[in-house]
Amino acid sequence: MTNRIELSVIVPVTYGQQDSTAAATEVAALAKDYLAGLDSVGKSFEILFIVDGDKPETFDALSQLALTEQRIRILKFAKAFGDATAIVAGFRNSSGEIILTLPASPQVSSQAIPDLVAGLENTDMAVACRSDRVSGTSDRSKNWRRRGFHWLVRILSGERYSDLGCAARAFSRKILEEIPLYGAHHIFLPLLAAKQGFRVTEVVVKVHDSKPKSGGYNAKFYLQRILDIFTVVFLVRFTKKPIRFFGMIGSVTFIFGMTVLSYVIFQRLFFGTPLADRPALLVSSLFTVLGLQVFALGLLGELIIFTHAKDLKEYTIEKVIN
Amino acid sequence: MDLSVVVPIFNEEESVPLLYRAITESIATSSMTYELILVDDGSSDNSYAVAAQLAAQDSRLKVIKFRRNYGQTPAMAAGIDNSSGQIIVTMDGDLQNDPRDIPILIDKIHEGYDIVVGWRFNRQDKLFSRKIPSKIANWLIGKVTGVPIKDNGCSLKAFRADVIKKVPLYNEMHRFIPAMASIAGPRLAEIRVRHHAREFGESKYGLSRVYKVLLDLMTIKMIASFATKPLVWFSLLALLPLVTSTILMSTAILPVFLDEDMSIPIAGTGLIFFTLALFLIVGGAIAELIVRTGTFNAADYPLMTSTLDEVGQETKTETQANIQEPND
Repeated sequence: MTNRIELSVIVPVTYGQQDSTAAATEVAALAKDYLAGLDSVGKSFEILFIVDGDKPETFDALSQLALTEQRIRILKFAKAFGDATAIVAGFRNSSGEIILTLPASPQVSSQAIPDLVAGLENTDMAVACRSDRVSGTSDRSKNWRRRGFHWLVRILSGERYSDLGCAARAFSRKILEEIPLYGAHHIFLPLLAAKQGFRVTEVVVKVHDSKPKSGGYNAKFYLQRILDIFTVVFLVRFTKKPIRFFGMIGSVTFIFGMTVLSYVIFQRLFFGTPLADRPALLVSSLFTVLGLQVFALGLLGELIIFTHAKDLKEYTIEKVIN
Repeated sequence: MDLSVVVPIFNEEESVPLLYRAITESIATSSMTYELILVDDGSSDNSYAVAAQLAAQDSRLKVIKFRRNYGQTPAMAAGIDNSSGQIIVTMDGDLQNDPRDIPILIDKIHEGYDIVVGWRFNRQDKLFSRKIPSKIANWLIGKVTGVPIKDNGCSLKAFRADVIKKVPLYNEMHRFIPAMASIAGPRLAEIRVRHHAREFGESKYGLSRVYKVLLDLMTIKMIASFATKPLVWFSLLALLPLVTSTILMSTAILPVFLDEDMSIPIAGTGLIFFTLALFLIVGGAIAELIVRTGTFNAADYPLMTSTLDEVGQETKTETQANIQEPND
């Protein structure tokens, strides 16, 4: 190696991208766009395209570019594994101290690249937030869905973000070294990083000037992301104390069940109301049992933590002197 | 190395130099090789800078900086994980514990104890918000865990390193180290230590932790009792719903043989309790699996503290609370 790479750019070309001549041209155009943006940063860089699955046209178009541009590298998956895996694979094959993930669709203008890298000055992670997402786009229903989504994130995690859908993020290499990424957790990387004590900022960037895609996200996408939020929030808040989470749900259910159950039994004992034909008996015992089960699950969770406590480090060390 | 002193620091910039001096002075009299580990738990003041400055002049001072505030237990765990001494002493960073007590604790370890716990017998804190809740909590912890320690909240403790390094430390478990360690049957001593009123900074605790302490206490009790035999424990739990379900089911089904109507709600309730019993047994099997695959090894614990005598039989000292006065 003659000169060390300072900045590694990871562009996952995943399931969102169709493999057609048009899509291939779009990605190639985008690559050129990014190269221009990266040149203006003034750091030595590499740009890794992760072609997720069988996309011959896109792959060919990118290979064509790689012939003339040494700094373009392509990693091709044999089958589609999704964004998070693509990012991790790209990360493992990269060497820059700064990692920059960029979307393979025209989301942000190339000017965003120097802005994001500059935003990393005093922080560990700079998250792009598209300028039109701050002011609101013309599509009302999309605005509402996006606001609802981020509101939910804020309520559940206590962290405020305005554009988690934007994949453009610059961060320090340490973040991916410490955070295991899988499933759809790449969307919530800022949350996970903040939880580990990294400083995260949002940088407002310009939107790519090509026409926005008409499709956007559908309801299924949002439903999946909402389920992802619950997973991430659980991981972030209760990983080390499952009993506090399960115990709360379990005891509320149990207490409700027990109250109704004792009322029913009380009536049977002192007023002679026959138990045999009361559905309330069924309902209350169901709740009691459910509460106990949830509680038992919490105990199992606690046992997992206990038996692995020596491997799962709860803390992250920034520096050690001597 | 003989000794590691682990001190978690959280916003204690004024105390750090004093603490450093007091600890070095108190150990200097003995001939032990030692290290002092300060764990900066994400302080927002200059604690880390102050400590780093001291560390630049003294190679025996090790400073660990957390990326953010994680709490006292992770800070202690980090210090212990990064220590190399045979004996580990932990204490608070707010100068309320007196470093002059360290040699007394170490002597006790040399006498053959695995864990020596400080007891702040003349505690200098507010009566209603600190001392009374603490009394109740200690009484309860003693009752529940069966380890009668008068002052679980006192951070000034000394451990034999091979014992404490195997005790899982997480959440807010530092309060329960003796209870957690009791799985291993350590020789435990409790000695009186000095306690000073807080000079600098703010107290970092409030009454809000009562709920957490209670939940942690219950968890520890349960884990300590079932960690080595979860299937048996869960099956015993399953016994009660199983009996309930048998009674209910027979009440519902027997009348059928007498040509009477079967009571559906009763039969249903019986079935529900039956599922609970099954669930618990299956849960026990999973717990067994978890314990088997985890790093926890039941045999580690007794072996940590047992001794072999000449005949080759294992002997073990009973857990005991031994109280000694500091000599000043």
